[in-house]
Amino acid sequence: MNPILEVKNLSVRFRNFPALDHINFTIEKQEVIAVIGPNGSGKTTLLKAILGLIPYDGEIKIFGKSIQQVLPLLGYVPQHFAFDKTFPLTVEEFVNLTCRRPEQSHFGGALQAAGMAELKDKLIGELSGGQLQRVLIAHAMLHQPKILFLDEATSGIDIKGLADFYSTIQRLNREHGVTVMMVSHEISMVYKFADRIICLNRDLISHGETKTALTKEVLKKLYGDSAHLKAHDHQDQHHD
Amino acid sequence: MTTRISTMIEMLQLPFMQRAIIAGVVLGVLLAYLGIFVTLRKMAFFSDGIAHAALAGAAIGLLTSFSPLLSALIFSMFLAALIYWLEKKSSLSSDSIIGILFTSGMALGIILISLRRGYQPELIGYLFGNILAIRRQDLILIVVISLLIMVFIITQKRKLTLLALDREMAYMAGINPDFYQLLLYIMLAAALVLGIRVLGIILVSAILIIPVSTARLFSRSFKALVLWTVLISEGVMLGGLLLSYFLNLPSGAVIVLTGSTVFTLVFVISGLCRQRQKR
Repeated sequence: MNPILEVKNLSVRFRNFPALDHINFTIEKQEVIAVIGPNGSGKTTLLKAILGLIPYDGEIKIFGKSIQQVLPLLGYVPQHFAFDKTFPLTVEEFVNLTCRRPEQSHFGGALQAAGMAELKDKLIGELSGGQLQRVLIAHAMLHQPKILFLDEATSGIDIKGLADFYSTIQRLNREHGVTVMMVSHEISMVYKFADRIICLNRDLISHGETKTALTKEVLKKLYGDSAHLKAHDHQDQHHD
Repeated sequence: MTTRISTMIEMLQLPFMQRAIIAGVVLGVLLAYLGIFVTLRKMAFFSDGIAHAALAGAAIGLLTSFSPLLSALIFSMFLAALIYWLEKKSSLSSDSIIGILFTSGMALGIILISLRRGYQPELIGYLFGNILAIRRQDLILIVVISLLIMVFIITQKRKLTLLALDREMAYMAGINPDFYQLLLYIMLAAALVLGIRVLGIILVSAILIIPVSTARLFSRSFKALVLWTVLISEGVMLGGLLLSYFLNLPSGAVIVLTGSTVFTLVFVISGLCRQRQKR
């Protein structure tokens, strides 16, 4: 099978500081890929480089093309929405602004499907962290992207919301064929939901199928000696 | 009452007042609308800096007997592009770049103006605004360039707003953030210089900030914010112009004080309303 995303010799430097060092991997169609690693390991930098948001050395091809050529096929939910929360902008207005084409703005329907129709007239700044993330995900899905990039999209979501979030991701992946690449800190959820995993600590520590690539040794390399995998009743595994 | 009405009619028949009112109405819409992007992107210092540095451009015009408004316009647009380029190419913060260029431009303007001998009434006019100074050719320049910028803003509203909201979101929506940021800088510089004739270098950025800040106190949507910002700006511009005529005071200062009075009133009233809702 042809990979839909190819990363070859990717390096990113901030001034003289190497944020990513010669990263190589590929992603196949309709996979759920999780990117894990400690703080400052380059997870967000990796996503931003793939999306063309920051300069990099190396080669990145999506569907065999450069990022600018395939931008409409990608959805992105950032870690932080760098927007003035006091600005009076309703959810509906936000979506109308960000839609590439007006005919895409069937957001009312998308929100209804997500059980959030009542949020349409609410101000973006008045949404809770969880509500904002769900709106951003619903919004990222509006133009039916082929690949969805999520950068710690579960920050601000409570435990119940977390399970709902991962179920939504799984549904998008299985029913709509969306490839998902997500940066996450929730190792237990990653272990349960991700098909493959990329373990980063500025360079590539491990990469492959989640169940085989996420070993105790890899966790120790990422998070230090105190890190270990713990089996739970529901067969999840946690990083402590 | 009849006397007041006849004084008002008399005033409206004065050509300089007609020119000032037309310029005020046009600039009221333009500066108010741009003010939404300025406050959203926290560009108040950029606006203030460009307006102050425009003194050098105006001084070049005065010294060379070229149109001071046109030379200030060209100089400020060049400066805006220079700020953009330095932000991209240097590791200095935007504030530092603006701070250096703003003070240098102002200093150059003062030196150039001091080269002319005798009393410099134009300098006071440029610093604090002078409605008597708006000549016919200035008005044409103000109206034509304002309309061009407004057409651009209206047709590109979605892109400019999204860029002001979040650069990454704008990029993902297929917008070229660098190109639109440069255009916003240049348009803002041009609009500020056009406003200098009425409001003055020192006070022009107030009309970018005060109307939108007032409207934000009570607006519950972006649509309402745009509408109220423009209405407040027009009210403040026209009210201030009339007051400055009747009180025989500098137009820029009276307009700004009218705006800050409206802001204070709305701030107090909206605060009281919020308190009542909490009870």
